[in-house]
Amino acid sequence: MSDFVKSRLNMKRRILIVDDEEINRMLLENILAKDYEVLLAANGKEALEIAESEKERLTAILLDLRMPVMDGYEFFGILQKDEVLKNIPVIVLTSDREAEVKSLNMGVADFIPKPYDVPEVILARIGRIVQLYEDRNIITATQYDSVTDLFNREYFLEYETIVDQYYPEDQKDMIAVNVNRFHVINATHGLEIGDEVLATIGRCIKKYVQAYYGIAARFDADNFYLYIKSDDHAQRLYDAICNSLKEILEDSDSRIRMGIYKNASANADYARRLDYAHLACNSIKGNYTEHVAYYDDEISKKENREEKLIHDLDRALEEEQFKVFFQPKYAIRSEEPKLASAEALIRWVHPELGMISPGLFIPLFEDNGLISKVDRYVWKNAAKQVAKWKKEYGISIPVSVNVSRMDMLSENLAEEFQAIVDEEGIDVHNFLLEVTESAYTNDQANIISVVKELREKGFRIEMDDFGTGYSSLNMLTNLPFDVLKLDMVFVRNIHSDERALKLVEFIMEIARYLNVTVVAEGVELKEQYEVLKDLGCDVIQGYYFSKPLCAEDFEKLIEKEIGHDN
Amino acid sequence: MTIEKLTELGADTKEGLARCAGMEAFYLNLVTKAIQDDKYGELENLIAEKKYAEAFEVAHALKGVLANLALKPILDPICEITEGLRARTEMDYSGLVAQMKDARSRFLEEIF
Repeated sequence: MSDFVKSRLNMKRRILIVDDEEINRMLLENILAKDYEVLLAANGKEALEIAESEKERLTAILLDLRMPVMDGYEFFGILQKDEVLKNIPVIVLTSDREAEVKSLNMGVADFIPKPYDVPEVILARIGRIVQLYEDRNIITATQYDSVTDLFNREYFLEYETIVDQYYPEDQKDMIAVNVNRFHVINATHGLEIGDEVLATIGRCIKKYVQAYYGIAARFDADNFYLYIKSDDHAQRLYDAICNSLKEILEDSDSRIRMGIYKNASANADYARRLDYAHLACNSIKGNYTEHVAYYDDEISKKENREEKLIHDLDRALEEEQFKVFFQPKYAIRSEEPKLASAEALIRWVHPELGMISPGLFIPLFEDNGLISKVDRYVWKNAAKQVAKWKKEYGISIPVSVNVSRMDMLSENLAEEFQAIVDEEGIDVHNFLLEVTESAYTNDQANIISVVKELREKGFRIEMDDFGTGYSSLNMLTNLPFDVLKLDMVFVRNIHSDERALKLVEFIMEIARYLNVTVVAEGVELKEQYEVLKDLGCDVIQGYYFSKPLCAEDFEKLIEKEIGHDN
Repeated sequence: MTIEKLTELGADTKEGLARCAGMEAFYLNLVTKAIQDDKYGELENLIAEKKYAEAFEVAHALKGVLANLALKPILDPICEITEGLRARTEMDYSGLVAQMKDARSRFLEEIF
């Protein structure tokens, strides 16, 4: 604690000196002024007024016993009846042996004999009592995060209240700092480098807050928080952190994102301060061109909208507000493109908000884990549809469904899928599972074993969003999957940009080497389609052939396809 | 007034200065304040009126300040007066009071 006040905050504790003799007050004030902020009172009554107004901020009271108006005994008696004031240590100033014993028995923390000892002794005596009381009042767990040497969550919250009490007149900002795709640093560089990144950020932030009487903490993973006197921190702090990371990370300039909640101190809800900074920070997640965001009305509205979506989810599932759409995939290796399969995609037709884009609710539910409920809804409905088409048209249209990273961690996933296909009486080959590449990056060994189990049961695995998940070539050769879905970012410029073309050519070669089918997503133009066909791509999905269709419209497509075949 | 003069008058300036963290001007300022205090006259009157309880409070207060500033020549008779008053001893305080006044006046001369 003493270390905290002196070195972290440069924050002076407040001590009240109560003595009717001005010279004694001046002597003590002179001794204490360097280390403490000193308040003075000439009698118990004056002292009581100060104690009441400084209730939460007083660190200790030095009390003379013999005083006019209200003596030290009476003053101490009143303090003891107050739930807050009784926790402030009182150190009695006395020249009488008898009074020393009496006051100690009354429950004072200590005494300083008169005439006073040398300043060093007085300071040490007061310092010891202060530390003793503060340690008693504050959680005794280790206060620092072991990786970064910043405060941990509990202490940060504790000290946040202290900073507010000591500097009530200053506006203070709450800043959240995150590392973009931190899990990838751990996965690709190893945990040691990951920790070194965190420690470096920690050192940088610590130095930064010291200059502004602020405090900082790492809560978990790459979540850092600063509570700091309001200023134009954004660019300075961002530059400082990026510079500190330069020697460890080659792309340090795009690694940090920050969310700032200006004048957070005006909000008495401590949890909200953190939430708002965090929300601002997350509002630019995945957006590598912006690295600082401020909490504002727009984020507040987004938060409210998201809260509504979370709140409405269960009802939406019950009332079947979610509609499963199907985007056709066409096999293009033959002369004529042929309907080969479909990807099941979800739409939410909200009774009040209308059609909600999956781009709005899927990332939200992925973040909070609710995506599992939505996924299961899609799985069941998609399986039902495959069965219905088989029954009505006599053909099997394989449908792929998305399996979120969260789902991959659920127990008995393979049994769950087996139960779904069994219930609808469809073949496992007609129920394809799309797993994003980034899911493989996280907890690779575990994911690989789940995927292996699924494949053993006959399910085919499509690696979704290929090229966005930071797989290394070496990793790719170890990952079990049957289909590679080329992300639309690779397709977008394939017809106009030589480099994009070369990249896709290279990926196609890898696919051939791994002996997997390639599905290109997001194909919108004839030129893109032709290039992909020339490159030997197997299957195409995208607006060039068809947008996602509701089941009824998809059926028309099937009918057309059957008619075409006939 | 100088530290040397105070020392010459019998003050333990080394001790007094130590409490003032060696700040001479600060110490001399406090000494001046202490010597000009009205309590000496107050004490004398209360003793003369045999108001011993009140006299004790004043003596005790003076003693505290003088001890902190280590002004021994005035402090010593006041210590004795304080202890006598504390024990409610009926005694002749005039000698001690005179001793106190005499010592004080020597310090006062240094100020004016």
